[in-house]
Amino acid sequence: MRHPSEGVLRRLVDEPAGVPDADRSHVAACSTCLRALDEVRADAELVGAALTTSGAAAVDADAAWARFSAAPAAPAPTPAFRPAPAARNRWRSAVRRPAVAALGATVLLTGAGVAAANDWLPIFSAERIDPVQVTSADLVQIPDLSAYGDLQFTREPDPEQVPDAATAQERTGLAVPEVGALPEGVTGDPTYQAAGLVEATFTFSAARAAQAAAAEGEVLPPPPAGLDGSMLRLQAGPGVAAMWAQPTGVPTLVVARVGAPTVASSGVPFETVRDYLLSLPGLPDGVADQLRSLSPDAGTLPLPVPAELVTSSTADVDGTEATVLTSRDGLFAGVVWVEDGVMTGVAGTLSADELLSVARGLR
Amino acid sequence: MAGATTPVRPDLEEVFRREYARVVGVAARVLGSRDEAEDVAQEVFLSFGRTAVPAGEAGGWLSVAAAHAALNLIRSGRRRASREEAVAAGSDAEVPDVAEAVLTREDRSRVRAALATLPRTQAVALVLRHSGLSYAEVATALDLSPGSIGTTVRRAESALRKELNRHASSE
Repeated sequence: MRHPSEGVLRRLVDEPAGVPDADRSHVAACSTCLRALDEVRADAELVGAALTTSGAAAVDADAAWARFSAAPAAPAPTPAFRPAPAARNRWRSAVRRPAVAALGATVLLTGAGVAAANDWLPIFSAERIDPVQVTSADLVQIPDLSAYGDLQFTREPDPEQVPDAATAQERTGLAVPEVGALPEGVTGDPTYQAAGLVEATFTFSAARAAQAAAAEGEVLPPPPAGLDGSMLRLQAGPGVAAMWAQPTGVPTLVVARVGAPTVASSGVPFETVRDYLLSLPGLPDGVADQLRSLSPDAGTLPLPVPAELVTSSTADVDGTEATVLTSRDGLFAGVVWVEDGVMTGVAGTLSADELLSVARGLR
Repeated sequence: MAGATTPVRPDLEEVFRREYARVVGVAARVLGSRDEAEDVAQEVFLSFGRTAVPAGEAGGWLSVAAAHAALNLIRSGRRRASREEAVAAGSDAEVPDVAEAVLTREDRSRVRAALATLPRTQAVALVLRHSGLSYAEVATALDLSPGSIGTTVRRAESALRKELNRHASSE
């Protein structure tokens, strides 16, 4: 028979009873496997020892509980899961900006192209298990490119919480999708957020970019001809969202709609600008992926999904193909689709099936 | 006090007392510091208190959350370095030497730093396994098939051992 995989050998180290008899008897009689098993065991012990902490004394659960119950019941506890605030004037910080953890509405709504739907991901990673309230300011955003040139806002979104869906529509021209039947566990009235179109012009400056590179201790690669002074127009929004929350303020369901972000260039094609930015030193892989997936055409949804965090599938929502994302720990799910340049998304601490039925029931 | 506190799930204290040691254990494996692990545990339970995770799944949820939170802490670089150093220094004598490997404090820091750069699922599976969760429990907590846990953990260990060897050979 074939030699069992290293995964089987690894389990043999810890849980021999979990390994099929056939594999166990093979290994016992196979010198190749026995050697491999030794190596697997040695690595396991080495790593186990490296991760062992000192002070084997039992933890004091009583004292810990006393501390826990004495802590003030803040409405939005934070620390370990809240990312550090993005540094100002650093594009890549701004792009990665995971501050909008929440339940995803924002994500849908975030970003001029570069960030866009990719910002869904922090939500599904379960890396931040503290939900954060969605504020109207999160609805539409432009990445802060000012480290690489001149960023001029030509339209401000004036985001705000609005009293009802009608006001949201009046403000933005977008109808807030109306939920047919609320899933079990989602109760009460939603709060509404609205933000207008945000538009900015970015003028690439080789001098500024060189400065940014120097701050990183790097030399700026020579920009392609014509890039210096070329402009991008970034546009996002408008956006509307309805959000249901538990009495504690933890969001349970978010339904959002937003004009898909677009990017347009003058002079040098956007692809050239993008490829050059991709070549800059110190650009994190995640941001690079986002840039690669960005296109001037707002009709597609760039959505590179890290398979180790999120399972992704597609489903039909009233004739349109939607992307369904589920966090592997099952805590969050979301459904998002694009139609005529408008993204609609439904996300929450619900199962994908529940969210799909919300999505299909939207009016 | 009535009305002043956030409503929490009624079984919170019971789950807290039952799972606290394990949650601290998971975070401590990642952080190498008991104090920091206890801080992480407090935050993890705070979050847990606001979820509707069924009590039966609480152990897995809390362990995964503790691993993520601790890994985030390492990766964010916002650790209290001085405390880590102090604790690590004091711990040298207590860590057993295994498989003829003598692990220095630097080795252990290196392993933890490398841990934070592994694919998240690998890192979490590894930490949970070394925290005493069974293969079946790790599989359930991470929504993976039980058959894949051995492979996932093995990959992580192999990567960490290579990291150690790389430094050993370059020194």
